[in-house]
Amino acid sequence: MATIELRKVYKTFGNIDVVKGLDLVIPDGQFTVLVGPSGCGKTTTLRMIAGLETVNSGEIIIGGKVVTKLEPKDRDIAMVFQNYALYSHLTVADNIGFPLKAIKFNKSEIKTRVLGVAQSLGIQELLDRRPKELSGGQQQRVAIGRAIIRSPKVFLFDEPLSNLDAKLRLEMRTEIIRLQRRLGTTVVYVTHDQEEAMTLSDVMVVMKDGVIMQMGKPEEIYRKPKDVFVAGFVGSPRMNLMSGKAKSGLFTTESGCQFKIDSSINGEIIWGIRPEDVKILNTKPDAPQAKVEIIEQLGPRAIVTLQVNEQQITAVVDNDHLQKIDNRSDIVIDSSVEDHHYFDAKNGLRLIDN
Amino acid sequence: MYEGVQMSLRLRLMLPLVVVFSASVGYPLLHAFYLSLTNYKITSRGDTKIVWLQQYIATLQDPNYWSSLRVTAVFVILAVFIEFWLGLFVALALQKQRKIKDLTRSFLLAPMFVTPIAIGLMFRFILNQQLGVIPTFLAKFGLAYDFFGPGKALFTIVLIDVWQWTPFMVLLLLAGLEGLSKSPFEAAKIDGASALFTFRKITLPMLMPVISVAILIRSLDAMKIFEYVFAITRGGPAIETMTIQYYTYQTGIQFYRLGLASAMSYLMLIIVMIIAVILFRRVEATRKNQ
Amino acid sequence: MSTNHLFRARLTWTNLGNGLLVLMGLSVVLPFFWLILGSFKTGAQLNDPTLLLFNPTLENWNEIFRSGVLESTWRSAMVAFITVIFSIIIGSMGAYAISRYRSGGNVARFSILAAQVLPPAVLVFPFLEISYQLRLNDTVFAVLVPHLSFVLPVVTWFLIGFFDAVPREVEEQALVDGLSRIQALRKVVIPQVSPGIGAAAIFGFVLSWNDLFYALILAPGNSATLPVKIASFNTFRGVELGAMCAAILVAVVPVLFMSFFIQKRLVRGISGGAIKY
Repeated sequence: MATIELRKVYKTFGNIDVVKGLDLVIPDGQFTVLVGPSGCGKTTTLRMIAGLETVNSGEIIIGGKVVTKLEPKDRDIAMVFQNYALYSHLTVADNIGFPLKAIKFNKSEIKTRVLGVAQSLGIQELLDRRPKELSGGQQQRVAIGRAIIRSPKVFLFDEPLSNLDAKLRLEMRTEIIRLQRRLGTTVVYVTHDQEEAMTLSDVMVVMKDGVIMQMGKPEEIYRKPKDVFVAGFVGSPRMNLMSGKAKSGLFTTESGCQFKIDSSINGEIIWGIRPEDVKILNTKPDAPQAKVEIIEQLGPRAIVTLQVNEQQITAVVDNDHLQKIDNRSDIVIDSSVEDHHYFDAKNGLRLIDN
Repeated sequence: MYEGVQMSLRLRLMLPLVVVFSASVGYPLLHAFYLSLTNYKITSRGDTKIVWLQQYIATLQDPNYWSSLRVTAVFVILAVFIEFWLGLFVALALQKQRKIKDLTRSFLLAPMFVTPIAIGLMFRFILNQQLGVIPTFLAKFGLAYDFFGPGKALFTIVLIDVWQWTPFMVLLLLAGLEGLSKSPFEAAKIDGASALFTFRKITLPMLMPVISVAILIRSLDAMKIFEYVFAITRGGPAIETMTIQYYTYQTGIQFYRLGLASAMSYLMLIIVMIIAVILFRRVEATRKNQ
Repeated sequence: MSTNHLFRARLTWTNLGNGLLVLMGLSVVLPFFWLILGSFKTGAQLNDPTLLLFNPTLENWNEIFRSGVLESTWRSAMVAFITVIFSIIIGSMGAYAISRYRSGGNVARFSILAAQVLPPAVLVFPFLEISYQLRLNDTVFAVLVPHLSFVLPVVTWFLIGFFDAVPREVEEQALVDGLSRIQALRKVVIPQVSPGIGAAAIFGFVLSWNDLFYALILAPGNSATLPVKIASFNTFRGVELGAMCAAILVAVVPVLFMSFFIQKRLVRGISGGAIKY
């Protein structure tokens, strides 16, 4: 249980600045997710916290102790890698007990603890097997077991679910959340999947090009993205983002499409509206005409791609509503001003707090 | 990545290697160069003078030296060529095997593990004109073939090398074949490609990196050929099987002229290095194409 | 009709392949068979190479055991064993550093490769001269160091390939789990490369065991290793031909036994990592 602080941390590989002056406080006992596209520096940050990468400048502090120059083994952390990194020459029991053996616990103590951990993860039957005999999900649990057995201050996860099939991934997500709630340990979790980040995190840190774009509760980031990048990155299907001019309550896209917006906005902007906030109606005066191009069924809902005057707009629609609008040529789209997001066209920053 | 603190560990790990390597390879290499600049003879210790490049010039003017280079070149090209093709087909046949795989493989790979001098003597035994079983056998059919006679001896030596070292080719090529992914072959089957077509257009190109490495290793090895010549022909008839390593051995050990022999072997080293670099570039090129 | 054609075509390729294997198998077995026959023949019997039924004699075998073949075998084994042990220990340390830390960069890798390619004729003369000066000529030690000169690079090269194949994460996991770097190397990395170490050791052992060139020049007499001893039976007097057969068999038979156990490991080991240049 510990707070992690990164102060002005820089990391350079060759000529490339991978992490640029990072200031980050990871709160104690919470599930923090570092998320972002490839190359944003999230994995490098995680590895620096672990001590697997050195720090070019800056400090890393775990639980009040400066660990910047310490070896991984002296930081009281545990880590789960993407491909689990199980020791193929050892049994499951030896894998789980490995960290305790490293700090010279006695054999019977190790055996008891291993059994306890295995039972809590439901893998006590597998203790005598070797990693290559296990399924992906089982290997995952062994890796987690190995991580929790020492009760470290911090858990670090490096995209641990990427190698699992979709169904298993969802199951493991729930398990990981339960685990963290039960143990109350500080977790730092890295993923490139924004959906995973949204579901898992208490605190979400969106990174790009080595800097933090936005940090906060997932709902906040979803509802009020600070800039265009975060707005487009978080949320699936992706937010509709259009460039154009705003004047006197009307937004005109480059292709000539017009939408009603908040009258206080003026100038060159990027307008964003989430697909779930796009309403499709039979008819409404002054609303832009739309034509249905593609429908992707999700079960209860569908993703509908619409063509509005050469502008492509994505919407998410309930299936009952879909039946009313499909194959009609006179549908229009609409949206509420509270659901709009406005960004400055030059620097991409959020304009008003609606 | 691993900086600073790791330095002393790195040094400690590398040090023994560097020391032993320098002592067993580096120093002798330099000393050999020194010797090649002298007129050192084992019999005349204490009388050694530095004669600079005289030994090199003598070597380059020696027609026997050039002849031995030619003999070695012919040998290597013939032997590796045969070993490659034979080895490839054997590897393909072995790959298809389902039953008694291990037994067959241990049989066929056995020759490469036996000390070459024994193999040389063995073939001397069975191919000898008077007392060898094969000429006697052939004679029963009226065929007279003098295996180690003029015009034939070098080719017989090639065949001995093929006998012993084709298994090595098989080993490397088999390992390469078994490492190829199955999907392109399955796709070809679905597309209806014939066995020959699949072989030419898929197997061979995908195997290229392994083939290049195998040919590289075997060729460099074949250049060192000595044992068969020492066991059977001693360079003869005349100088037909006088390979470069044997000629150097003769100069240095039978005629005691270590200085001259060192020059000869250094020249050979340069040739080998050039060939090695050329072949190595080939290997890299095939790897990049993958 | 068309299925018949397919069936015949498939049969032909596999048949050809199997036929080839049989031919190769025969070509391997028959010479040995003749050697075995010859080793039990007297001088007179050897005059007829195709003689199959005869009264065998043990005189040839007695002679070679009297002549010190067993001592030579022992010397070969010692030299090979020591060479391999040294090479594996020193080689794996260096291979790990070269693989993980890129120690020595391209120079190191190239030197190791170049050392395997050196013609023995280059190094043997300095070794000879030095062994004379140190009064170590014709001893086992005079053969040991030269053997290191070609076994150590080969073993190290193999091992670099195998270390390259161990995923970095397994090592990093060990560090996070509480081991220091040296401990992680010993307890996690080395076990992962152990099949490769086995293959490299076998390869190195065979290389040293089979060497004639260095041993012939540096220890030709009293400290002869097995290949040199066998060469000394090279003769063409019918009386001694039988002994020569027996001597060859002494070199061959143990290898045939080993070959069965070696080949599986070797193929696995080589395709595991060493093929990657």
